[in-house]
Amino acid sequence: MAFFRDQTRQVTAVILALAEHPSTWRYAADLCQRLDLTAGSLYPVLMRLADRGLLETSWEPDVPADRRPRHRYRLSGPGRALAVELAAAPPAAQAGPARAVGRIGRRPWPRPEAT
Amino acid sequence: MRSRLERVGGWVASAVALVPFAWLSVLITVSADATTLRTTLEGALWMALFGTPWAIAARLLWRAWWRQTGSRLAGLDGPAWLLTAAAATLPADRRDWGAAMTAELAQVQDRAARWRFAAGGARAAVFPPRGSPAAVALAGALAVVAVVATALVTGATMPAGRVFALTFVGLVGGLATLTVARSGRVGRAWAGPATAAVALAGVAGCIVATTWYLLEHPTYQKGGLTGVTLPPVTAVVLAVGLAGCLWLALAPPRWLRASPHARRFGIAMAIALAAGLVLASRRYGEVMGYLFIGAVLVVLAGSLAAAAVGRSFRAGVGACVWALALGAPLLVAVWLVEALRVYGRGGGMLLDGDAGGVGLNLGDAVWWSLMLLLLWVLPLGVLGAAAGSAPARRRRPAPSS
Repeated sequence: MAFFRDQTRQVTAVILALAEHPSTWRYAADLCQRLDLTAGSLYPVLMRLADRGLLETSWEPDVPADRRPRHRYRLSGPGRALAVELAAAPPAAQAGPARAVGRIGRRPWPRPEAT
Repeated sequence: MRSRLERVGGWVASAVALVPFAWLSVLITVSADATTLRTTLEGALWMALFGTPWAIAARLLWRAWWRQTGSRLAGLDGPAWLLTAAAATLPADRRDWGAAMTAELAQVQDRAARWRFAAGGARAAVFPPRGSPAAVALAGALAVVAVVATALVTGATMPAGRVFALTFVGLVGGLATLTVARSGRVGRAWAGPATAAVALAGVAGCIVATTWYLLEHPTYQKGGLTGVTLPPVTAVVLAVGLAGCLWLALAPPRWLRASPHARRFGIAMAIALAAGLVLASRRYGEVMGYLFIGAVLVVLAGSLAAAAVGRSFRAGVGACVWALALGAPLLVAVWLVEALRVYGRGGGMLLDGDAGGVGLNLGDAVWWSLMLLLLWVLPLGVLGAAAGSAPARRRRPAPSS
């Protein structure tokens, strides 16, 4: 049970961190540092959020030739709506919507329009 | 520097490939009743005969891998190596995430932090999250139920086949659960209906024939002694071989799915391998000569043709691997059926015509098929692939080091 509680907390923390500056693209290494998460915990959360249409992802444009483009992330419309819901809910009630991110075969939020 | 690494790596690959043969050579010499110069030389000669193709094949495979991937990896540090290797195992629909992780690692400068990031990323790449944990749980539960049911059924009806059945069902259940966990559902990355049909036919034929042998002849008599038809080690080897072939056919790795030529040639070679064994059995009443020469000719020619048509070494090697993965179960199944026919007509063992109980054929079929395919036929197939791709290689400009 502790494992699932941790996962739920991590999902909540990532969504809320991304919601701090919702229009800004964020990077995984910065999120790891900011949330004190390992890459092994962060990437599965990002993958789940992206699978459910809560996260927009894109590759960094216009990078110098000697550097590889980085993958960047920000919340989609439904992701931002979920973040508002999570921020408004007391900590005990945050588990419900956050846990739904890991649920099977359900997409409680519509996929955002392609940008 | 990189070309030196390529050269040294090639020598190391050859040496590593020769180690098992050198060890076998020493073992044969030591275990001989009377160690003479003649037995030592004979042992060394046989091992040189089998070891040389493997040494050359290992060098060719190393060179192909190096040019495709290795030279790119040579410039990376440990964490980048780890993460790149782990990212290569990601299913196709998650490959972007592998690229994202490796690109992000470049931003982490501190050495310890790089290792931490790479280890975490590797964990996420090897066990990526799927949207369907219930499907994984269901697959795992079904696997456990299948193992328990197999234990009960074989305990009551076929104790001689218990080790084989439990190992096979456990492995297939485990592999199916792993595939569901990594790819969402079984069959997402399969290699097509023809490949699956040949693999399923071979594995099913093998299981039916093995079951028949175990029910009718659980033991055999030879020289006044009683032996078990399917000893535990042979049972495990057969089960691992069949489960591995099935997995390769139903969820092949990315590199094996790349060339349709490889698959088609592989299927044709697998069927030819089984048909050749039937012809040899009908004509000579034994198959030793066919295994050493006929099977090699089939795979050598097939891999060469696949490499020539696909214009790449990789297509030839892929065809060779498909031929062995699909051909091994077919070969064992056909062997067991033919052995019964030959034995019924008063002949001896299908392998060499020697006398022995009919149950002995099961061990012969498993060990000789698998060992010869792996030790003798596979490296010669790789050599065929190299020969077939040589004209295309000559036309291509050499990669810069």
